[in-house]
Amino acid sequence: MTLPPDYFDYPYRGPGLDHAWFGHREAPGLPAIAWPGGKRVALFVCVHVQHFPMDMRNTPFRPTGGMERPYPSYWDYTRRDYGNRVGIFRLMRALDQAGMRATALVQAAAMSRYPALAAAIARQGWEVAAAGLDMDQLHYAGLDPAAERAMVADAVRVLREIFGPGVVGWHSPAHSQSDQTMQAVAEAGLDWVGDWVNDDMPYQVTTAAGPLTALPVAWELSDQRILFEQHQSTAEFADAVLRAFHTLDAEATVDSGRVLAVTLTPWVMGQPHRIPELVRLLHTLMAQPDVWSATASDLVRAWRSAAPA
Amino acid sequence: MRADTGFYRYAAYSGRPRIVWPGGARIAFWVAPNIEFYELNPPRNPTRSIWGRPAPDVLAYSHRDYGNRAGFWRMAEMMARHGVRGSVSLNVAVCDHMPAIIERCCELEWELFSHGVYNTRLLYNMTEQQQRDVIGDVRRTIRRCSGQELDGWLSPALSNTDATHHVLAEEGIKYALDLLHDDQPMPLQVRSGRLISVPYSLEVNDVPLFNMRDSSPERYVSIVTAQFDQLYAEGAESGTVMCLPLHPFLIGQPHRIAALDAVLAHVTRHDGVWLATGREIADWFYDHYYDDFAGFIAASDETPRAPVQ
Repeated sequence: MTLPPDYFDYPYRGPGLDHAWFGHREAPGLPAIAWPGGKRVALFVCVHVQHFPMDMRNTPFRPTGGMERPYPSYWDYTRRDYGNRVGIFRLMRALDQAGMRATALVQAAAMSRYPALAAAIARQGWEVAAAGLDMDQLHYAGLDPAAERAMVADAVRVLREIFGPGVVGWHSPAHSQSDQTMQAVAEAGLDWVGDWVNDDMPYQVTTAAGPLTALPVAWELSDQRILFEQHQSTAEFADAVLRAFHTLDAEATVDSGRVLAVTLTPWVMGQPHRIPELVRLLHTLMAQPDVWSATASDLVRAWRSAAPA
Repeated sequence: MRADTGFYRYAAYSGRPRIVWPGGARIAFWVAPNIEFYELNPPRNPTRSIWGRPAPDVLAYSHRDYGNRAGFWRMAEMMARHGVRGSVSLNVAVCDHMPAIIERCCELEWELFSHGVYNTRLLYNMTEQQQRDVIGDVRRTIRRCSGQELDGWLSPALSNTDATHHVLAEEGIKYALDLLHDDQPMPLQVRSGRLISVPYSLEVNDVPLFNMRDSSPERYVSIVTAQFDQLYAEGAESGTVMCLPLHPFLIGQPHRIAALDAVLAHVTRHDGVWLATGREIADWFYDHYYDDFAGFIAASDETPRAPVQ
């Protein structure tokens, strides 16, 4: 086998990145942003509200939580569904007890199937962002651009019909995008996107349809990563979050806050054996005088008012 | 294909010439941050694909990008606090894309050595001349951005051909890191010139520990300090080498940086530790032990072999 000559062409080798979505920014160059009330750390908790079809194709890859066993896999399907029936109500209570408001990353199919769950989320007062149609409708380069635009628009329409115009954010299923996704999100009239896991702080994304604010929706500090994929204990999850808090709190100042992003999943964290540890963690965090419980829109608002474009 | 690398002969751990590091130190401890650039849409190498998902793999790409935006700065600060220099396994395209990172490395008096051009341009299927061209590119780029000579080599993503180490020796590389066969430097058998291996590590490398073995920060500290303690004890008999490879996108996460703090505090509180760079270890070995080790290996190889049935 030989390599073609263009294997040695480096078309983007120069200052900045090898794509045009945003520029390279480094931690020492972060613009200072003060959170309301002089708080140092914004605690940004996202909750996945997902639907995994039992007949899912897992195309072009199996997302975290996708069906692993042969069809019909009640083994996989019913345990994901457990999160929407039972687990999420435990998360609601735990967050309530800690005085926190989450940002729900909601898939349209889950709301169409379960209107009672939609009503419960609305009653809870959580902020709702669109997270695609379901876990078998992944965004990836193989999609026809028009079809992908329709996927984004459909998800946003369904969620806005239920939750109103406050649906202003986007998370792609499994953090997966095509080259068109962010433009489609901007065309749908949304304000922010949370897929790229390259920063602790917000930054601006440029698309042909206008700018978006990129928010750090956590992947490393998520129960899907640490508990489901990495098989660590709930205590180890809590320890990781507290370690992150101490690092970010030490880096923050009153004039320049930081975001501690944590992502929870009803079918993972909503299990009975995990809840007491979660409750302890949330109380520990909210007992810190420097912590501000923030939703996505809170972050976008503070960011846009303080930071240069 | 070959049945072995062909680049080294067997040399038993017992009976070797005794190594003493500078100042009578018993262990040479060196830290190798991998400062990398993974391309969003890399060209295809038929031997191995880069990303787990179809390009653009936004999740994996942005996870690595975190290292250059945030993780590097946190990691470099922590190392400086402990007075530990880095020897950078560098994708030299970072010099062009993100020169501020390289400037910071130079301020801290870190060594720069080659990890290829991009971590997405693998050596598999390259001709010898193509590999020579890559080495020349790396050498010129490191010289331009740091004034340093190119002495060390870790292949991008540890990709090799059967000829790579011959070519490295002929191109004047002093030490190579892809061979993981020993805890001491070793002369290599190359067709012309001289080349040695210096111990690198996959056992205490943060990528295998965090991404493949799914370790918590606490477990990482326990594994890495145990590795140090054993090599330190053995170093009383003959000097050992411990390499701590780091990846800013992992160790530089807010929930992991305290683990690096704990490891470096543990190492630096011991006497008899030489905090070295890769180049310094290689130079000391060439100046004091190369000939003894080459003689020892040659003598070992002359030992009559038991007949093979």
